[in-house]
Amino acid sequence: MLSIPSLKKETKKKQIESLEDPADFYIPLSGYKGMMEPVVKIGETVKKYQLIAEGPNIAGKMHAPVSGIVNAFTTIGNKAFIHLINDFREIEIPAPYFDASQINLEILQQTLSDCGIQGAGGSQFPTHLKYTIGKEKINTLIFNGAECEPYLSSDTALMQYEISELLQAAKVLQNVLGSPEIVFGIEKHNKTLKTLLLENAQKIQLAVKVQILPDTYPQGGELQLIKSITKLELRKGTIPSQYGILVNNIGTLRAVYDAVFKSRPMIERIVTISGNSTSKSRIFRIKIGTPIAHILNLNDNHWNPEKQTIVMGGAMMGKSIDSPLQPIEKGSGGLLILKKLKTAANNCIKCGFCIDVCPQKLMPLEFVRHNIDDDLKSLHSFNLQDCIECGACAYICPSDVALMENIFEGKIKLSALAEKSLQ
Amino acid sequence: MKTAPFIKPKFNSTQKVMLDVVLALLPIVIIACFAYGSLVIIQFLTAITVALLAEFVLSAFLLKKYNTILDGSAVVTALLLVLTLSPLVPLHIVAFGAAAAILFGKILWGGLGKNTFNPALAGREFMSVFFASIMTSSELWKTKGFVKTPSEQLLPAADHSVFSEYLSAMVYKTSGAVGEYSILFIVLGGLYLLLRNRISWHIPFALLAVFTLLLWLPGGTQLHYSTAGLLLGTIFMATDMPSSPATPNGKLYYGMMTGLVIFILIKGGVQFEYMSYAILLLNAFSHQISIQFRPSAWGDPTDWKQKVEPVFNLTIKILGAAFAVLSLYYYDLIQYVVFLYILYLITKFNFSFSKKINNAI
Ligand code: SF4
Ligand code: SF4
Repeated sequence: MLSIPSLKKETKKKQIESLEDPADFYIPLSGYKGMMEPVVKIGETVKKYQLIAEGPNIAGKMHAPVSGIVNAFTTIGNKAFIHLINDFREIEIPAPYFDASQINLEILQQTLSDCGIQGAGGSQFPTHLKYTIGKEKINTLIFNGAECEPYLSSDTALMQYEISELLQAAKVLQNVLGSPEIVFGIEKHNKTLKTLLLENAQKIQLAVKVQILPDTYPQGGELQLIKSITKLELRKGTIPSQYGILVNNIGTLRAVYDAVFKSRPMIERIVTISGNSTSKSRIFRIKIGTPIAHILNLNDNHWNPEKQTIVMGGAMMGKSIDSPLQPIEKGSGGLLILKKLKTAANNCIKCGFCIDVCPQKLMPLEFVRHNIDDDLKSLHSFNLQDCIECGACAYICPSDVALMENIFEGKIKLSALAEKSLQ
Repeated sequence: MKTAPFIKPKFNSTQKVMLDVVLALLPIVIIACFAYGSLVIIQFLTAITVALLAEFVLSAFLLKKYNTILDGSAVVTALLLVLTLSPLVPLHIVAFGAAAAILFGKILWGGLGKNTFNPALAGREFMSVFFASIMTSSELWKTKGFVKTPSEQLLPAADHSVFSEYLSAMVYKTSGAVGEYSILFIVLGGLYLLLRNRISWHIPFALLAVFTLLLWLPGGTQLHYSTAGLLLGTIFMATDMPSSPATPNGKLYYGMMTGLVIFILIKGGVQFEYMSYAILLLNAFSHQISIQFRPSAWGDPTDWKQKVEPVFNLTIKILGAAFAVLSLYYYDLIQYVVFLYILYLITKFNFSFSKKINNAI
């Protein structure tokens, strides 16, 4: 397994600050899978927390982060957004009455769905679908505090400063699921949080277990986390609830708190601003839809794509952004300002480092070979579909072989093939 | 748009890997220069110059790549090549070997990383075949008269008890090939590479374990071999990344089989070249081994039964090849293998490899 030198020095002990709202919001319309459709019209005045877009169950829902006017439906890059102009009047829709003590699984699913709760760890998987477990009995409810992405400390900050909200939400989820064991997984470098977690849990009579995990990458990957905590090694694509396991991210848990105790949808999240090309590392609570340029300006950084790579998410799995208008999304735990990376792009020297660090125990170099040769059969037999796209292989490769590019390309080819065979 | 990851570890480029290998070899090189003075120094200089020149010219000409000499692999190849030679090998043959190592060991395969065989050892085989009479003469190993620094001088404290003689032979002796004068430095170089994670322990461990085990068999102890040569080959040649398997279990199996084949060749009477033959032979199977021993994907239960049969077949093939090499050696036909290799490689380069030069793998 890979260990990456800690880059969290700058962000680890930082308080959560709030960020001034921008005048323009761009609310993403692409869901976890599929697209959401606006349920408002251009020119319409919307209130804060109002539902403004929804799609099929697997896509998600979007709510207005502020009150204002729907200005346009627009595209940035090739993605669709609602352009919302902030009127700075903070007019809210009334919160529906909700009694957290009366909650059951069905009501919880509905609440999570209505509030547009999506996985905050990066996947943006709609959380209510995780709680659609049919007759399965959950024995272990895991909260993923393993923030293995270097630079990011968003979940750490939540555990440090908003632990009571997290634990209250955890208690509700535990009740709903029929009292499974609660395990918080945190990394070794955060082990001081253990006492904090246990003390606060005791205050509300909640029995929790805190498991200290190794500082390896990608410890926060769901399958790797499940193995560390339950010793079960699940194949990619299996549904953990079938094994009595349910995993939620810390950021998601925080959104669940707002949904269950305040009846408020997910309109904001914690974002770590950091990187090796900025001296200002901070942690902000930022509204979904806030454009990058606004954040950079307030943080005394500026949009400067010639000199820097601006990354949404983490340095290992995030995406570089090419427009300053691109907004924070529900899964964006970080905004990184990084030096441009010079890559050598030599030939593969068969060192096998990529194999050694691959958490899914694959042979990444073979993906490159077979993708270049368009050998889809081999891509499949070398289990490309098991790759979790963690980037560990590309990080360690001494020759800077284009591993991720070939992996993504190969996956696209494979899924195109799968679709063809379905038709 | 560039994809993640957006950060890389420090000191992890191919150049840095090569630099570490050079650093690990440096003590061995220095003590050799110490032992034979200018004789060996000039050998090294010749090999390095020719290798770099060949790398630059041939890679520019055949691969259309102009900066490959910067990757440092040519220097490593040149050093390793000289380390396997007698200090008395004439310079023009050294130069020939270095050029052959670069051309037939690496460039014609498509460049660094794509070669099936260890370039230094390939170069050495070319020397033995094309300069057979000199390379196989026993005069080549009568080096006593050329020693600059005899071991008594370097280690005057060594009294003549058996134990301290044994010890001083570990630290410094002046017989054998250029790279074999100090077992201590060879081992230290290996430890350095292990600590720096430039080689993994699997191959040396499995190779030495199997070889030692076989030595314990009745009759094994009378074997005639050089410990320093065995260690040099094990640590620096059998672990060569491009020509050895990339999967951990593959490395273990590869190491074991190399140890076994070395033993068979020594037993079969191969005199100087048992290390080269064994490693080159296993090189040929490296990719197959790597794939055969690939790890099972996360959460995918390993079906051991399904793996036994192909591994058994592979083992039979390797042993068959070992005995084939032995027969060729007996009938003095090894040179034809090299001729066939040349033919194969030139054909392959023209019709296939040259079209894939820009592929990373
Ligand atoms: S990106 Fe895929 S292939 Fe590469 S290390 Fe991660 S899981 Fe393995
Ligand atoms: S890490 Fe890079 S150079 Fe090493 S085997 Fe993998 S792809 Fe090849």
